[in-house]
Amino acid sequence: MHPSDQEDLRLLRESVRTLFDRAGGVGRGRNLRGDSVGWDPKMVRELAEAGVFGVTVPEEHGGLGMGLAAGGVIAEEVGRVLAPEPVVTTVGLSLGLLRRLCPDHAKLAQIVGGETVLAVAWLERGPSGAPAEPTCRFADGKLTGSKAWVAGATGAEGFLVAAVGDDGPVLTLVEATAEGLSVDRRTQADGSAMGELSFSGTPAQELARGAAVKDALADAINDATALAAAELVGLSERALEITLDYIKTREQFDKPIGAFQVLQHRAVDLHIMREIAQAGVREALALMDGETDTRARAMLASRAKARAVTTAKRITRDAIQMHGAVGYTDEYDIGLYLNRALVLSAWLGDDAHHRRIWFEAREEEGAAQ
Amino acid sequence: MTDWNAMTDAEFRKEVRQFFEAEYPEELRHLSHRPKFAEIEHWHRKLHAKGWVAPAWPAEYGGMGLNAAKLLIFYEEQQRWGVTRGRDMGVQMVGPLIMKFGTQKQKDYWLSRILSCEDIWCQGYSEPGAGSDLANLRTRAEIDGDDFVINGQKIWTTLAHDATHIFMLVRTDPNAPKKQQGISFLLAPMDQPGIDVRPIMTLAGETEFCEVFFDNARTPRENLVGEMNKGWTMAKALLSFERIFIGSPNLAQNALGQLESFARGRGAFDDPVFRDRFAQAALDVEDHAALYTRFADQLKRGETLGSDVSMLKIWVTECFQRLTELMIEAAGPDGGALGPLQVGNVGVDVLASFYKARPSTIYGGSNEIQRNILSKAVLGLPG
Repeated sequence: MHPSDQEDLRLLRESVRTLFDRAGGVGRGRNLRGDSVGWDPKMVRELAEAGVFGVTVPEEHGGLGMGLAAGGVIAEEVGRVLAPEPVVTTVGLSLGLLRRLCPDHAKLAQIVGGETVLAVAWLERGPSGAPAEPTCRFADGKLTGSKAWVAGATGAEGFLVAAVGDDGPVLTLVEATAEGLSVDRRTQADGSAMGELSFSGTPAQELARGAAVKDALADAINDATALAAAELVGLSERALEITLDYIKTREQFDKPIGAFQVLQHRAVDLHIMREIAQAGVREALALMDGETDTRARAMLASRAKARAVTTAKRITRDAIQMHGAVGYTDEYDIGLYLNRALVLSAWLGDDAHHRRIWFEAREEEGAAQ
Repeated sequence: MTDWNAMTDAEFRKEVRQFFEAEYPEELRHLSHRPKFAEIEHWHRKLHAKGWVAPAWPAEYGGMGLNAAKLLIFYEEQQRWGVTRGRDMGVQMVGPLIMKFGTQKQKDYWLSRILSCEDIWCQGYSEPGAGSDLANLRTRAEIDGDDFVINGQKIWTTLAHDATHIFMLVRTDPNAPKKQQGISFLLAPMDQPGIDVRPIMTLAGETEFCEVFFDNARTPRENLVGEMNKGWTMAKALLSFERIFIGSPNLAQNALGQLESFARGRGAFDDPVFRDRFAQAALDVEDHAALYTRFADQLKRGETLGSDVSMLKIWVTECFQRLTELMIEAAGPDGGALGPLQVGNVGVDVLASFYKARPSTIYGGSNEIQRNILSKAVLGLPG
């Protein structure tokens, strides 16, 4: 990366960090747990003013055109303060789809401007409760079926729904107030909620159809996956800082517990994991910016998410152990990091899932050569 | 004299790669042991004729004068092609120390002899009571007329039985207030009655390490390098580049390639559990390389590296071990068999790789010592 690009990223990081810190840091998100919207709409507008949502949107469409590496910088900062605003879902998914399929649609500009938030629905739940092959239909301007695991559904003013049309995939837009739509909240460990949507002849606007929808969806999911990895990297970084501060000050047996070698070595291992994760995820995001092949991008996204999930799980769980009993209380912030890590790990696939995807893609790549 | 640093990185890499690929003997590629000089003498002569024995040395002393960026490329290519480090203790350790702290007379006498391998050096640092706690060393050197008289014992001295000279840290002031003080850096010829070398048989069945006993061994006073009792600081000053080199991804990358072809040949990828562990290890190597790149870029920008660089060594050596352990798993009932195992038409020596990986977490400062350093110097933990 060019040094001046590095400088741009540094400035971006500083401005986003300052914005979150001034707004109240981790305490702000703590108070929004279980909120009906799920985030602070005023904060969404402030983030928009800082250019956050448009970071990967080309300049001619009102964005910053800085690419995924810059998106990763923002996501890391979101992770550090556990900001509940739908940043990764917006940058990765809703804008990821709109900028690829219909960059001139009015919604794109509104989202970039922080005037509205759309959630993206593509997964479906089968009878066993596990993900199943999508069957939600779009015909004659109406949707019928259901969608599950819709992040950011609570406060969204509308949904981008991927459905099955008469001749292949269709991307549709549904207003949150549309007739025949019901949104069921599934509360998550961090106090946020995933939406389970059901449609019974719900009116929807068609935005795009055909193979382009399938490709754009795959690309947007890859973007969001890698950005979620960056969010986990930021989360892990802050959780470890909090833990290091704690073991430097908490005294037992007349000395700080951080003076005990067993905790020191454990802390070093967590630090190394975090550095490896940060380097790996940042490299993956930067490489995705220059890569157009879908399989190669998917492999990079899986590499990033697998690494970030393994790291965040280990750091947040060890962080609780190193805090001792107070780590198990709701009062201490460290538990918020554990809970958020649980949600972000499960969303878009955990480490075992992504290692499998990565290995399979690597085998296909090997067979193709 | 070629100014290698004026070339682009890509041009330089190509030049180095071409030379290794054309000139390096096939039978010496990816050796699992450190060769004796006789085994590689032919290769050394070629390297010497080319002027490439000492890539890091300034051109005025007969080196290539490479800057940090070019040096990393040189080593990367060397490791990629499996080119042996050869008998490089003179080039890597004692030469730079003489350049930095030696007298003009010492430079004039020793440096060219290092390049030609007329003198072959071994390193006498560790002792039975001074391993990770190196400053605890007890081997004494006392002035007697024009000589130092040396008494004591060194251990883990790599290829001492194939060396003509030893450079060593010795205690010259046993009454110094701190154990790091009172240590001096001394050169001595090996071929003398006061020195007895006994090879140590390793787990791998090789004898690359030795014990070296000193019983009134002698070396002229002019073989003291630098100031008396300042040896500890001098030796430490040399280690900064070594620290990134020892954490380079190549060892693990080579083991990964070996594991993949072996596991594939043996059908181990049919097992989903093995596939997952392979994927985990492969990604461990890939993400380590990303962190290595970050440190290498720091060096290329001319910045000095901090203590945090030892993260690379901890991660990559432990990764290297896991990879060789997976190789044993893939070998199934052959996991205890010495020598090459056939897969297709190639032989993979699984246990040789396994054994090679074991000391990597011990040498160059054990991984536990590295963790102590990181804990204090990087994380700022107390005590």
